[in-house]
Amino acid sequence: MTLRLQPVQVGTGSYDIEGQLVFADAFLAAVLVRLSGFHEDIAGMWFLEAGFGLVSSATPPTFADLDAAQTWIEQRLAHAA
Amino acid sequence: MNAAPDQHAPGMLIRKLESITTLSDKERQAVRSLPMRIHNLDARQDIVRDGDQPTHCCLILDGWACRYKMLSQGKRQILSFHIAGDIPDLQSLHIHTMDHSLATLTKAVVAFIPHESLRELTACYPGIASIFWRDTLIDAGIFREWLISMGRRSAFEHVAHLFCELYLKLQAVGLAGNFRCPLPITQTDIADALGLTSVHVNRVLQEMRGRTMITLRSQTLVIEAWDELLRVSEFDSTYLQLGKRVAG
Repeated sequence: MTLRLQPVQVGTGSYDIEGQLVFADAFLAAVLVRLSGFHEDIAGMWFLEAGFGLVSSATPPTFADLDAAQTWIEQRLAHAA
Repeated sequence: MNAAPDQHAPGMLIRKLESITTLSDKERQAVRSLPMRIHNLDARQDIVRDGDQPTHCCLILDGWACRYKMLSQGKRQILSFHIAGDIPDLQSLHIHTMDHSLATLTKAVVAFIPHESLRELTACYPGIASIFWRDTLIDAGIFREWLISMGRRSAFEHVAHLFCELYLKLQAVGLAGNFRCPLPITQTDIADALGLTSVHVNRVLQEMRGRTMITLRSQTLVIEAWDELLRVSEFDSTYLQLGKRVAG
């Protein structure tokens, strides 16, 4: 399984608009959004705006960078194997 | 820790009970003679833990507390917020093993009242037993509203609903007025109570500010548009059983 990122703007209804679609092979697995300056201590971090299937979470996490986000997504998807 | 007797503590309990119904002189005297141990607690300190079998109940005299439950990986669900006058673990009088924890959110002053004394009080004064019973029923009503919000309200509506509830509860015990109330809790606390992330709570607060519905500064919530807050959250205060009080 390979993850691929694709930049996208996300209409979150907030200042958090810079996003990345995360594809796992051909499937959309998650939407990540970079947190704007309004989030103070977590500004600049990446938030799991949406996760699909095994990547969905009742408590969506926030990641320090895109690498950390992808590692987490890979781990979630690996549970299917 | 301070175990000195304090007349403030029984007074707080009498005020709470009389917010439900008037006490007779004898009942008031019986409450006044309850033994109470006063403790000064730090913020974020457990008062009673999941699985404990406490021998006393905790009356909050000052500060905020919450009931909560911990899940794996540090996930916390806050079940309710509590303020002065509340006895959040009153159920331990009849249900001996705690099925959740109770902790302070802020620095707090609490009074511990022995179960034995509360049992004697309620046995001798059925009127007081009825008031406690009614209090647990209102507690259940609040849980029902939280369940509705959790399942069927958007993040925005849910936060609005919580603000209306907190304001009216604080106002009822004289801790809020003029659409202004203390809110000494973090966005993470709010998120853990509403089943949201702090990212979502922050976005909702930004939007509420943007629409000049609220101001939130120095741990004080100012509600700038009370009617609008009521409308968006479909807030109906009946479940709080506060009588004819109106906001203001």
